[in-house]
Amino acid sequence: MTEFLVGVAVIFLGGVAACVSPEKGKGWVFSLFAASAQFLILPAVISTLLSGGLAQLPLSFGEPIGLAYLRLDPLAALFSLLISTGTIFASVYSIGYMKMYAGRASSLSSHYLFLGMMSAAMLLVVVVQNAILFLIVWEVMSVSSFLLVAFDNGDAEVRKAALYYFTAMQVGAAFLIAAFGWVSAASGSLDFNSFTSVLGRWDFVSILLFVLFFLGFGTKAGFVPLHTWLPRAHPAAPTGVSALMSGVMIKLGIYGILRILLLSGVPNSHVAYGVLVISVLTGIFGITNAIAQDDIKRLLAYSSIENVGIIGIGIGIGMLGLAYHSPLVAMLGFLGALLHTVNHFTFKSVLFHASGVIYSRTHTRDMNKLGGLGKYLPVTSAGFLIASLAAMGLPVFNGFISELALYLGLAKAFMISSVVTSVAALFSLSGLAFTGAMALLAFSKAYGITFLGLPRERLHANPAETEWTLIAPMVTLAVVIVAMGLLPWLAVILLRNVIIQFVPALSPDDFLFVTETLRTVSTVFTGLLVLTGVFLGLRSLLLKRRNVATFKTWDCGYQVGSARLQYTGSSFAQPFLHLVEELVPRRIRVNKEPFLFPKDASLESHTQDLSERFIYRPTIRAVDRFLGLFSWIQSGRMQQYIMYGLVFIVALLIWILGVK
Amino acid sequence: MAIALAVLLLSPLFFSGLISKVKAVWGGRRGAPVLQPYYDFFKLLRKGEVISATTTPIFRIAPSIGIAATILALMIVPIPTFGSLISFNGDFALFAYLMGLTKFFTVAAALDTGSSFEGMGASREVTYSTIVETAFLIVIGSLALLTHHVSFDSIFSSVGLISEYTPLVRILLVASLFIMLLAEGSRVPVDDPNTHLELTMIHEVMVLDYSGPDLAFIQYTAALRMTIISTLIANLIVPALAPAIQALLLFGVTMLVTFVAVGGVESLIARSRMSHVPQFLFLMTALSLTAFAVVVFFLYGGR
Repeated sequence: MTEFLVGVAVIFLGGVAACVSPEKGKGWVFSLFAASAQFLILPAVISTLLSGGLAQLPLSFGEPIGLAYLRLDPLAALFSLLISTGTIFASVYSIGYMKMYAGRASSLSSHYLFLGMMSAAMLLVVVVQNAILFLIVWEVMSVSSFLLVAFDNGDAEVRKAALYYFTAMQVGAAFLIAAFGWVSAASGSLDFNSFTSVLGRWDFVSILLFVLFFLGFGTKAGFVPLHTWLPRAHPAAPTGVSALMSGVMIKLGIYGILRILLLSGVPNSHVAYGVLVISVLTGIFGITNAIAQDDIKRLLAYSSIENVGIIGIGIGIGMLGLAYHSPLVAMLGFLGALLHTVNHFTFKSVLFHASGVIYSRTHTRDMNKLGGLGKYLPVTSAGFLIASLAAMGLPVFNGFISELALYLGLAKAFMISSVVTSVAALFSLSGLAFTGAMALLAFSKAYGITFLGLPRERLHANPAETEWTLIAPMVTLAVVIVAMGLLPWLAVILLRNVIIQFVPALSPDDFLFVTETLRTVSTVFTGLLVLTGVFLGLRSLLLKRRNVATFKTWDCGYQVGSARLQYTGSSFAQPFLHLVEELVPRRIRVNKEPFLFPKDASLESHTQDLSERFIYRPTIRAVDRFLGLFSWIQSGRMQQYIMYGLVFIVALLIWILGVK
Repeated sequence: MAIALAVLLLSPLFFSGLISKVKAVWGGRRGAPVLQPYYDFFKLLRKGEVISATTTPIFRIAPSIGIAATILALMIVPIPTFGSLISFNGDFALFAYLMGLTKFFTVAAALDTGSSFEGMGASREVTYSTIVETAFLIVIGSLALLTHHVSFDSIFSSVGLISEYTPLVRILLVASLFIMLLAEGSRVPVDDPNTHLELTMIHEVMVLDYSGPDLAFIQYTAALRMTIISTLIANLIVPALAPAIQALLLFGVTMLVTFVAVGGVESLIARSRMSHVPQFLFLMTALSLTAFAVVVFFLYGGR
């Protein structure tokens, strides 16, 4: 525990040290501190994960915090693993990426300072188990990430996005303050362990508390309809930060929900259905919107929402399994959720890093202008391909393993004899399949349009992969993605103790059920690789003595082909978006020139987020109108304010005299 | 087992020849020999290739990945009386995702050529697969609920043992899978395998730039996909407890009837307008949801 805290301090000090270093060395200094912190944090974390033990440290503060416990249990350890390694990837990546902003020494200082602050705060979030201290570190995390998003604050769009993010986080925090305040008051203690007495009852109050916690943590995680900050903040932030936010920070919302579940004992089945339904809707909504995006980072942000939905489905299955006393279903659910949390961290980091390479080399994120980057950026292209395959859940990568656990959990949930469970399981099963099929569309668009074909508009200069610091994190993570796909049971061993925390009734047979299945899967995966190799070998053998000519793409005899004739991202997605028009409304603005030679004719199409139109705008308008009723109180006239003072003093006098 | 699998691996091109023959006879022509696809296959294997200069290695590896993934998918599917070669809990998900892997690489290779025609086909392919894939998992969900099993092999070996109400469920699911066969096999009314004109561009147009061995792989893969789905159909039709000889005979007959039916559909119906294809595919969703509702009703309706 002490090493862990020292590690946290080292990461924070890395940010401070970067401030006082010369401009070129800032990234290196921070990375050095972050790397050395790994040696302090990872041993503690991994030994906790493998042994399943609990390390705790009581810290005594003055009122109102009092005695605060820091506890490192397997659940906290799993998330610390992501935070700690995520920090090192983000910092190394920043070295290369931030060269775009050379000459802005003070901005760069603040970037590394807040990066260190955010990582340290995230690490504390998962170990602090005192309500007030938790809210404090939670806020430090939110504020420092807000300052990171606002890095490029000369840009009005970025400022707007950052403020939107900040507001969303404060709304989320308001739910959390209410929930923690209530539960602490009801249980008479600020320590998490004492919350069980209130949360474990599953009466009206504890369900209400669970809803409050879900709203608060769900805002961070990005559950629909609390997700609207993601597609704004992710594109605005510097890419290393986007990757850290999407890969790690939103997972702390998931952590919060899991922590509350852990404190709540056997959950109520109705709440489990609620979580399941919201998660399925989050998945479907996230990925349909991802398909509609042309900005590659916005697409990835919406895909993060989808993945949070998938993780949520796992949590829902786990809760159902617990509620109906089926340890196997519960285990498969939590396994899917936790594994997908780790998997999403790996592939989404790679995808964001690759999008940053594209942006730093072409200065655009609009896929409709890109194309054919695979030839210029081969490593980035390979990384993006592997991560996309994982994101679609396709063999032989890690994304399939977590989705398999979820499919199995849902299929096993059919064995719980109840109509409602069967219908809910089928709803989630088809929702998961629908999400998967749409992910295929979204990522064949993201990869195919950006990296394949020809550039749709002239590229700045020939883009090239010159910075190894931009590439190294991607390559490392891609290796992890492949390894987790081919050797899936290793990841399961790492997660075993976390799952046991949630499902104490787990028998070794249930565990064997999973490991045996995964061993077969990995054999099949190996078979797939071998068989593909065989056919590739056969192909080259057949072509050895034949003539293989290179020619232009067959254009059906049309002689003046141009790269602009290619299908764009928008046209690729159009047939599908036509099918789901109600879910992803589009606004199309046509500028027709009535003249004979229309030079400036143009067409613009924008997709809208449904939740903004139907939930946020009406809500905000209603709140605005309600608060407007009180605007006469602040009229701006001095006389009126003096009168308030007088009224207050008179009222005070009356109260004192009256009471005495 | 190995022999049965080998026969199935050799048969797909025969079935696609059969479809062409049925269409020819129906249209009053004599038609190409049933074995014509085999002649084409071996002819293509002996040819060289023309590869577009626009492409990356994705274009060259895609057909090999597709054929490998589809062969593995076949190994997961149970063969009546023999069961499946590879079977584990949740193998239905791997089956669906192996089919998805083939689809992704076909689409990526199409986009790799930079051709607007192929982009159009790719876009339609992924759009329609969102409907088919979802409906397929509903089919599997209904069967899993009915049999309380979670692998293809055990689902299909026990579906015949549950007697009273399965005929209705089976009919619905067979109809549903038949629609999937037409969609995944790029057949009328979803797609037209004979042309790659703008109006019908889906599968054929995506592979427009392929030639030589790669094209042979692709044509084999497309035929194998149909064989796999019709094997699934046969699994719902062949009774579980039938003696081996009868079951195998019935299996063979079912396969023949299925493909003759595909040829018949192609002779009788015109390809739908693109905007009407989703409606046809939603029929598959509706059929499988009805099957699920029937299963739920019979399992829990009495209580």
